[in-house]
Amino acid sequence: MSPALRRGIGVAALVSTAATVWLGLWVTPPSTQQGNLVRLVYLHPAIAWDALYVAFGLSAVCSLLYLWRRTRSLFWDRLAAASVEVGVVFNALTLVTGSIWGRPTWGVWWTWDARLTSTALLLVLFLGYLALRRVPAEPEVRARRCAVAALVAFVDVPIVHFSVNWWQTLHQNATVLNADLSPRIHGSMAWTLLLSFVALTLAFVWMVTVRYRIEVMRDQVGEEELEVSLAERWAEAELTGAPPVPAPGPSPEAEVSPAVPAGERAGSGR
Amino acid sequence: MTALAAPAGVAPAGVPPAPAGSAARRRRRRSLVVLAVLAAAFCYLLAEGLGNSLDYYDTVGQALAHRATLGSSTFRLEGIVLPHSVRRTDRGADFSVGEGRSSITVHNTGSPPQLFRVGLPVIVVGHFAGGSAVFESDQIMVKHSANYTPVPSRDRMPPSTAPTR
Repeated sequence: MSPALRRGIGVAALVSTAATVWLGLWVTPPSTQQGNLVRLVYLHPAIAWDALYVAFGLSAVCSLLYLWRRTRSLFWDRLAAASVEVGVVFNALTLVTGSIWGRPTWGVWWTWDARLTSTALLLVLFLGYLALRRVPAEPEVRARRCAVAALVAFVDVPIVHFSVNWWQTLHQNATVLNADLSPRIHGSMAWTLLLSFVALTLAFVWMVTVRYRIEVMRDQVGEEELEVSLAERWAEAELTGAPPVPAPGPSPEAEVSPAVPAGERAGSGR
Repeated sequence: MTALAAPAGVAPAGVPPAPAGSAARRRRRRSLVVLAVLAAAFCYLLAEGLGNSLDYYDTVGQALAHRATLGSSTFRLEGIVLPHSVRRTDRGADFSVGEGRSSITVHNTGSPPQLFRVGLPVIVVGHFAGGSAVFESDQIMVKHSANYTPVPSRDRMPPSTAPTR
């Protein structure tokens, strides 16, 4: 993705988020049941949407594309990783904003109903995915392992979605994506809700593109570090009796002229 | 260049043993510990979920039907707060919750949450008091709907919901 396009998405995300804040706090009316607490509807559902459907959905699609032989490429693995990482942040924010909304409306920060419990499980499952990525392994092995893990974790997403229909919950049913697909919200409230979804989806896309670049750079650094440390050990093995190179990390000079004292090396570069 | 493939054991005495290998082992051990902690958290959430959420509450009708088996065990009871039944007491509030034509009297300790109102469904946590039909609760949760209807503009600005502007 070109830097200009990425910047464009970032600006669009900022502008639409600002518009959502303005509409949500000043333009839209309070509701009959919740008064001003209803304004959290312009935040919490969009965050949950980002986490569950956009982030974890994208990571599941990428994982499938990686596992499918004809489309296998580390591109999908990195995109899945970037998507999950951003998704985990949004998943945690879903729980936090839900808790903040629940305290004044329901009267409790937390309750063990099916929606809340399955959402917390989802967070733990995808944290597990991120932990699995940190287990050292060959890139292909890690990619395959993580792709399977992402698909297993994704099983919980439909469970979260339908939990309010399958079981008795304190959490309310869907307002827009309900069974008969007739939104229970209208007018400026509905438009602001829609805008919040657009804004946070744009924010997600921007974050994932940035995160993807970091993933690529991290892989590059990993390869370079491996080469440097190999070269260092090499130099040590050849120069028997020479003082061992103390600090690990990228110091290519050590390979070229290990006999030159450190002070002179530092000066020579200027 | 061929010597690059030399095994780690070739390194001269005094050189720390293969730093890359031990770092990888450490990383591996650390990530396995993290995975174990997450697995424990997963099991805890699953156990709590299976214990609580699959049968999250009993409706008024269900609770009345199973009163004998429920005894004085604690459970969540759901019903709509009936009109003219709410009375504030020193401990909190007394009211009745109903479902269809049946109802249960609730004695709650502690003040009800902000949204507590006649006509809204609530979930109260507690138990039947000593074989009687009175439900003693110490927690009220308001079960609001997914409908968002704006307050008519002439009714705006009630003291508790003053707009931010």
